[in-house]
Amino acid sequence: MKPEHDVTSHPDTLPKEVERFNIHYRIQHVIMLTSFLVLFFTGWALKFSEVETSYSWIHFWGGTRTAGILHRIAGITMILDSLYHVLYLTYRFFRGKLQWDLIPVWKDFIDLYQNMRYFLGFSKEKPRFGRFTYLQKFDYWAVFWGIFIIGFSGLALAFPTKAALFFPEASKNWIWELIYIMHSDEALLAIVFILFWHFYNEHLRPEVFPMSWVWITGKISMHELQQEHPMEFERLFPGAHAQTVTSEDETDEDKTS
Amino acid sequence: MGYKRFFLFFLFSAGVLFQANDLFSDNLSCLVCHGALKGTYMTRQGVRTSLHVDGEKYASSVHADLDCTTCHLKYQDNPHKSTDQGLDETILGLAQAIQKKSPVDPVAQAACIQCHNEIYLEVKNSVHGINIFQKNETDAALCLDCHGSPHEIVAAAGTNTERGPLKSAVAYEQIVTTCGRCHEQKSVSLKYGFSTRIIQRYNESFHGKKYHLGGKNLPVCTTCHGSHSIRSHKDPQSLVYGTNKITLCKQCHAGANAEFVAAITHKPIGKDNPIPYYAEKGLIILTMGVIAGCALHILLQIYAAIRDAIQYSRRMSR
Repeated sequence: MKPEHDVTSHPDTLPKEVERFNIHYRIQHVIMLTSFLVLFFTGWALKFSEVETSYSWIHFWGGTRTAGILHRIAGITMILDSLYHVLYLTYRFFRGKLQWDLIPVWKDFIDLYQNMRYFLGFSKEKPRFGRFTYLQKFDYWAVFWGIFIIGFSGLALAFPTKAALFFPEASKNWIWELIYIMHSDEALLAIVFILFWHFYNEHLRPEVFPMSWVWITGKISMHELQQEHPMEFERLFPGAHAQTVTSEDETDEDKTS
Repeated sequence: MGYKRFFLFFLFSAGVLFQANDLFSDNLSCLVCHGALKGTYMTRQGVRTSLHVDGEKYASSVHADLDCTTCHLKYQDNPHKSTDQGLDETILGLAQAIQKKSPVDPVAQAACIQCHNEIYLEVKNSVHGINIFQKNETDAALCLDCHGSPHEIVAAAGTNTERGPLKSAVAYEQIVTTCGRCHEQKSVSLKYGFSTRIIQRYNESFHGKKYHLGGKNLPVCTTCHGSHSIRSHKDPQSLVYGTNKITLCKQCHAGANAEFVAAITHKPIGKDNPIPYYAEKGLIILTMGVIAGCALHILLQIYAAIRDAIQYSRRMSR
């Protein structure tokens, strides 16, 4: 690692890595990704039933009936997982341990603007991110919003006679179409979003390829923390100064790590 | 004339050689010619029609035990005199009623009533039957429009023959296509005032999607609308009319209520139903917008990553 500039605290005292996600978050993420994939795979053929390959694809998943049951199980698992997440956040809130650093703030827009300037070569400076970059916040809230929309519409579609008891009479001519569109289109949006955004940033990006291991270890290396979350580094280690990252003084490690 | 005689002799030989083993002697004399007649012919009534009968398919059909003249009552002798004399009055009356609909041999079409009397009466009172018998329309469905040629009708589940499986046009796997032959035609839907995209909307519904993906026991057209006794959806006797629909849906969905059964209408989502219409438009814009934004951002990220890598390797090689 490149020696620190202006480190007032002793560089030796810095840990090698920092915990980013505790075991609860990691479990929540694993359940989320498993149920997401099952939902994606079993739901895809139904959405695109007119495509010829959908026939063999749904039979790979046991036919329409089995795939439907798997889809419902995975859906309910995901909803329970989300409840676990929200309840855990509530618990942390009452213990006074909840960090609000996932809430989008004005700085995120400035970071986006600065990142664009950097990408296009107008600036040598990468934005200095906190614990979560705007990309990660977008990732998180997209899932949050998606589960809300897809989860409720999915429950209504899975238990339609029960859902009908809650629907006002005046809504009956449009509610089903609306629910179907919400479920189907939002699911497609979620899938494409995950494939593009999440896969690029957490898997394909040269810095993390083949993937960011934080989802298993929960830990981020000191180097990565300084590189990608300098503000968080400075918050965790006041006095220490994260190295300034520009395209000019990238070191060998920057490229290979 | 020599040529014509030779041709008939040829037909006769071909008929004997290829059809004889499967058939009964009574039908054989008909199939000698009709098994070999290919192409279409102009009848005396001025209708162009095929006179071909596939003997093998006939032999594997459910009607294999019947003589040709069981239905083709007018053609008892050979060569055909095609006389109405001595025919049953009921059949003759029916034949006159469907003369416009089925001009080639209306008697043979009416002859179904000899065995399928109850079903024929159901059809007569159905929306299809009313259009034929009362409104004298020609585009409403009668027996053959759904079941196909009577010479080739197989049991609803289908039949296996040496030439491979013969599928029934009204089998579970075929029925949506069969109904769609008329109900997908815009001209028909506009004329009779039903939704122009019934089949498409069925295919887009969960029932239709699962049906096309090979699901079993899903509702198809006839499950909800009935078959021979089908009524217009505006007819109070229709299975899908008003509260009848609740009873109908309850057969599969226990606890169905009025709000539930409104889910299936086969109506296209148009501006007359603004909430889902604009919600769909909005979601498409949202989806495309997010995808475009993400794609642009990622492309820029990739561009910057490659640029930085090139700059870095240049610096290293200096």
